[in-house]
Amino acid sequence: MSRSLLTGNGAAAWGARLALADYIPAFPITPQTEIIETLANWIDTEAMAARLVTLESEHSMITAAGAAAATGVRVFSATSSQGLLHGMEMIYTVAGWRAPFVLVNVSRGLASPITLEPDHNDVLAARDSGFLQIHCATCQEVLDSILMAYRLAENDRVRLPVMVNLDGFYLSFTREPVTLPDAKTAADFVGSYDPENIRFRASAPVSQAVAVLGGGPYSYFRYESHLAAESALEVYHQVADEFENLFGRRHEAIDSYRTDDAELVLVMLGSFATKAQQAVDQMRDAGQAVGLLRPRLMRPFPRQQFRQLLAGKKGVAVIDQNLSMGFGGILHGELASALYGQPEAPPILASFVAGLGGRDITGEEFFAMVEETRAAVASDQIPPPRLLYTQAELREVRKLQAVAQVERVELKQPQTVQGGQANES
Amino acid sequence: MNHNPDSAGNPRFQRMKDLPSTHLLGTGTPMCSGCGGLAALHEIYDIIGDKSVFINAAGCMTLLSVYPFTPFRGSWLYTSMASAPAGAQGVRDALDILMQKRRMAASEDMEVVVLTGDGSAYGMGLSATSGAMERNLDFLYICYDNEGYGNTGQQTSGATPHGARTATNRGLSGFPGFKKDLFSIWAAHKPAYVATVIASEPLDLARKIDRALSLKGPRLIIALAPCPTGWEFEPQQSVDIGRMAVKTGAWPLKEYIDGEFVHTRIPRHRLPVEQYLQLQGRFKHLFEPRRNDVLINEIQDRIDRYWRNVSSG
Amino acid sequence: MYRIRFHGRGGQGMKTASRILGTAFFLEGFEVQDAPRYGAERRGAPIFAYVRADRHPIRERGVIQRPDLVIVADDSLVPVPGAGVISGLDDHGILLINSEESADTWRHRLSIGSPILTVPDHSGDPAGQRFLGASCAGAAARLVGVISREHLIQAIGDEISALGTAAATASLVQANSDRALDAYEAMAAHAGCVSEGSGISAADYRSPDWVDLPSDPATVAAPAIHAGATSVEVRTGLWRTLRPVIDYSRCNHCWWVCSTFCPDGAIDVAADGEPRIDYDHCKGCMVCVAQCPPHAIEAISEQQAQRQETQAADRENSV
Ligand SMILES: Cc1ncc(C[n+]2csc(CCOP(=O)(O)OP(=O)(O)O)c2C)c(N)n1
Ligand code: SF4
Ligand code: SF4
Ligand code: SF4
Repeated sequence: MSRSLLTGNGAAAWGARLALADYIPAFPITPQTEIIETLANWIDTEAMAARLVTLESEHSMITAAGAAAATGVRVFSATSSQGLLHGMEMIYTVAGWRAPFVLVNVSRGLASPITLEPDHNDVLAARDSGFLQIHCATCQEVLDSILMAYRLAENDRVRLPVMVNLDGFYLSFTREPVTLPDAKTAADFVGSYDPENIRFRASAPVSQAVAVLGGGPYSYFRYESHLAAESALEVYHQVADEFENLFGRRHEAIDSYRTDDAELVLVMLGSFATKAQQAVDQMRDAGQAVGLLRPRLMRPFPRQQFRQLLAGKKGVAVIDQNLSMGFGGILHGELASALYGQPEAPPILASFVAGLGGRDITGEEFFAMVEETRAAVASDQIPPPRLLYTQAELREVRKLQAVAQVERVELKQPQTVQGGQANES
Repeated sequence: MNHNPDSAGNPRFQRMKDLPSTHLLGTGTPMCSGCGGLAALHEIYDIIGDKSVFINAAGCMTLLSVYPFTPFRGSWLYTSMASAPAGAQGVRDALDILMQKRRMAASEDMEVVVLTGDGSAYGMGLSATSGAMERNLDFLYICYDNEGYGNTGQQTSGATPHGARTATNRGLSGFPGFKKDLFSIWAAHKPAYVATVIASEPLDLARKIDRALSLKGPRLIIALAPCPTGWEFEPQQSVDIGRMAVKTGAWPLKEYIDGEFVHTRIPRHRLPVEQYLQLQGRFKHLFEPRRNDVLINEIQDRIDRYWRNVSSG
Repeated sequence: MYRIRFHGRGGQGMKTASRILGTAFFLEGFEVQDAPRYGAERRGAPIFAYVRADRHPIRERGVIQRPDLVIVADDSLVPVPGAGVISGLDDHGILLINSEESADTWRHRLSIGSPILTVPDHSGDPAGQRFLGASCAGAAARLVGVISREHLIQAIGDEISALGTAAATASLVQANSDRALDAYEAMAAHAGCVSEGSGISAADYRSPDWVDLPSDPATVAAPAIHAGATSVEVRTGLWRTLRPVIDYSRCNHCWWVCSTFCPDGAIDVAADGEPRIDYDHCKGCMVCVAQCPPHAIEAISEQQAQRQETQAADRENSV
C-alpha cells in the first residue's frame, strides 16, 4: 500500500484497474473524461489488460456495457450529466438484465441552462432505474467504493449494476492523498467474476432480456429487481466488514459524524459533506450539540439505519444539492418517508436546497442552516424549504439580465431575511 | 442580404475584393486564439447574415453563447449533442405554420442553420441528420470539423484521420481507424447541396455558402477547422495549415449539386502530405524519434488513390 | 492550514505550479489538496489553481476565499477585475508578483493592506514562459518556509515526468528544477513569511444575506438573451501576450487579408480603406502577422507595451 496524491478521476481509474475490469465502453464528457483517458493510456502502454472502446454515444456505451456484462466479462464505464441522461433508456433497460457492472458518474448539473459544474440532479435522475448507488465524499472513497461496488453488484443475491458517484470539480479535478491498495490484495478482494447462468455460450444457449405479456409476469420481474436491491443492504454490510478487515478502512452505508450526543443533525450527500464536518466541529467548539449524517448508499436506501441514527433528535436539516421542480429537495422527501410515523422521529425536518451548478456552500451558511433549524425546534414550527441564495448573487444576476436585455418588468424588491444569527452564548 | 447573382447575372463573389471587410459576428467569444472553426464561422456568418437562427449541438461552439453574452446578431438555440437537426425541424416547421396561418409575416422568416462539430455530425447526430434529409428539411447544416471531440480535450471521433494522436489514442501509431467519408454519406441521401470548405480559402467558401443559400432543401457544409489546441500547433499557423491541407490534397474542396460531384479546386502539383502532417504536434510521432515511413506512405497512398479516381472519373 | 492561490494565464503552467507545491508539501508530511479552477481553459485567458496544506486531514473544499499567499505569474493580470487576483487578500495574506517592477510601485498602484513582494519576471521571454509554473512553485515553497530544497526538487521530478513524453523528460526536469531553485533562492530573505490562516468561528460569524427569491415571469427568468452581439462586452484582448501592430506606411491596402483571416473578426476596414485592429478583443493569435502580404503587421510584447503605457500613466498621475 502506498499513499499518493490522486484526483477523484485518477482514483476512479485506479478503481477500475485494481478491480481487473476486462472491458471499458467509453464516451467523453466533462468532468469525467480524464477517467477514460487514463484507462486508455494504461491499456495502450500495457499497464492494464483490458479493452477500451469509444462508442458514438452514451446510449450505445451503456448498451455495450450491459451486453458485455450479459456475455460474462467484468465491465467498467463512466459518464456524467447529459451523458447519463442520453443513456437513460439503457440505464433502466440493462438494470433489468441482472447483468452486473460498475458505472462511475461524475456529477454535473443538467441543462437547461447547460453548465459544467456539479450538483446531484444527474445521478438522482437514475435513482428509480434498478442501479444501486454509492455516493462518495473523498477521492479515497471513490477508489474504495469501486472495489466494493463490484462485490455488491456481482453478489448472487444482488446481481444489479452499481453506480458510484463523485462530484465534478470538487473531487474529479482535486488531488488528495489516496492510499492505493496493493494489486494482489485488491484482486483477492474483488475475486473473479462468475456470471453463473446469465451469459452467452454456444453450448448453453440463452435468450436474455425477453419481453413479457401482461402485468403478472411484468410485476414479478420488477418486484424481483426491487427485492434484490433491498437485499443489497445486508450484502453491503458484509462487504464493508470484509473491506475493513483487509484494508483497515470502514465505509458505512451511512457515515455518521458526532451524532451520538447531537440534538441537531445535518444530512447531506457527497463531497460538500466534508465541509459540513468542519462546520460541525466549529459549532461544537462554540458549544452546540450538532452532528452530521451522510448516506453513502442512496439505493438501496438505508431506511432502518436512518431511523436508528435519528431517533430522539430534536431537529434535522437536510441539505439537497438537487432540485425536483415543483417538489423540492429529493433527499428531504426520501428521509421524510423513512421517518414518517416512527415513534422517536425528530419533530423538525427542515429542507435546504444549496450548491446547485457548483455554487459554494460557505461555512457561515452551515451555521445559519443549523440556526434556522434550532429556531424551528424552539417554535415547534417546520420552516418552509429554503433555496439558498444571497442578496449579492441576486444583484449579480440582475446585472447579467440587464446585459441580456430581458423585458423590463417591475422586479419586486427582494426581502432580506435573517439567515440565522451569531450565537450569543 | 442578396445571395444570388446580381441583376446582370454575375455571381456575387468573383474576386477577393468582393469579400466583406467588416464583420457581423461579434467579437469577445471564448473560442481559442487562432481557432480555425471560428474563422470559418465568421466568414460564413457574414454571408448568411442575421436573418438566421442557429441550432447548435454540444461542442466548442456551445460556449459561443454564455449568458448574457452572444456574438450572434440573429438568433440561436442550443439543443443537445445528438439532436440539433431535429431542433431545426421544429423551428422550420413552426415558422412555416406561422406563415401558413398568417400569424407571421414572410419578412420575419429566417434561414434555419444547424451548427455542430464533427463529433456530433459524424457520430451521435448522424441519425437525426439522415432523418432531416429524408424529410427534405429546408435547412443549412454547418459542421466545423476539427477531427475530434475538441471541447472535451480532443478524443478520437468519427472524423479523426488515420494515424493522428488523440487523447484516447496516445500510442505510437495514433488512431488506427480512418476518417469517415461524411461528404459521401450525406450525398448518398441526395440532398440539395453538399460542399466542403475551409477558412483559408475564403473565396471558395463564400461562393459555396452563397450557392447554398440560393437553394432550398437540405444543404450541408463541412468546414475543415484547423484547431491549434487539439492539433497542437501555434495559433498563428492556423491559416497556413489550412492551405497546406488543400495543397497536399488531404482536404479536397468539392461540391455535390444536382446529382453531380464537382471538385472546385484540383491541386495541379499536389505537395507531399508530410508537409501538412509535419506542422502538427498530433502527427509528431510519425517523424520523431524515428520516421515512420510505413504510416506516412499509407496516408500518402490513400490521398493519391483518392485523386486518381478524381482525374480518371 | 496553508491556503495558497496561483494566478496566471492558460498555458503558463499554473496547474503544474499547484501540483508541484502540493506534492512538495505532501513529501514534507502535510495533508494536501490541490486543484486547478477548470473551465473551458483557453491559452492566454486568466485562470487560477490552488493548494491547501495542513497537518490534519483537509475538509475544506472549493475556491480559497481568504488566501495566505497569492502568487501571480503574469503581472498584467493584477489590475484585471475578472482575474480576481486580489480577491480575499487582507493584511494577513501576502501577494507575490512576478514582475520587472518594484514592490513599491505595486504597493503604490494597488493600495491594499497585504504585504507585496516581487520576483524577477520571466513571462516575457518565451523560454521563461515554459518554466513559469516551476518558478512560481519554487518561490511559494520558500515563502511558506516549511519545504526543503530536496523535496521541492523531488516534487518537480514527479510532476514534470507525470506530464511527460519520454524523450525530453530528463532535461525538462533539470530546466524546471533550475528555475524553481532560482526562485527559491531569490525568496531567501522572506523565507517563512507566510503564516497559516485561521478558520471561522461559529460563535461569532456574519450571517449570510439570504433572500427569498421572487418568482419572476418567464419573460425574465428564461435563459435567453434579447440583444445582439453582447459578447463585445467581454474583453478577450486580455488574453493577448503578443500585440499585432500595423505599420500603416507599409500597408498596401490589399484585399484586407488581415481582416478576412482574423479568426475573431477583430480587424475591420474603415471607410478610408485602413484596417483597424480592435485591441479590446484581439486575442493575439498572430494570424494577421503571418498572413499580411507586405508584412506590414508586426508582433510586439504585450507586457512591454502595457508596461510603457502604465508607466506613462503613473508619470502623468504623479505630475
Ligand atoms: C449526450 C452528451 N454526451 C457527451 C457530451 C459531452 N460533450 C460536450 S461537447 C463534446 C464534444 C463534441 O465534439 P464535436 O462535435 O466534434 O465538437 P467540438 O467539441 O470538437 O467542437 C462532448 C463529447 C454531451 N454534451 N452530451
Ligand atoms: S479546441 Fe479547437 S475547435 Fe475548439 S475552440 Fe479551441 S481551437 Fe477551436
Ligand atoms: S493577432 Fe491579428 S488575427 Fe489574431 S486576433 Fe489579433 S487582430 Fe486578429
Ligand atoms: S493584410 Fe496587410 S496590407 Fe493587407 S490590409 Fe491588412 S495590413 Fe494592409
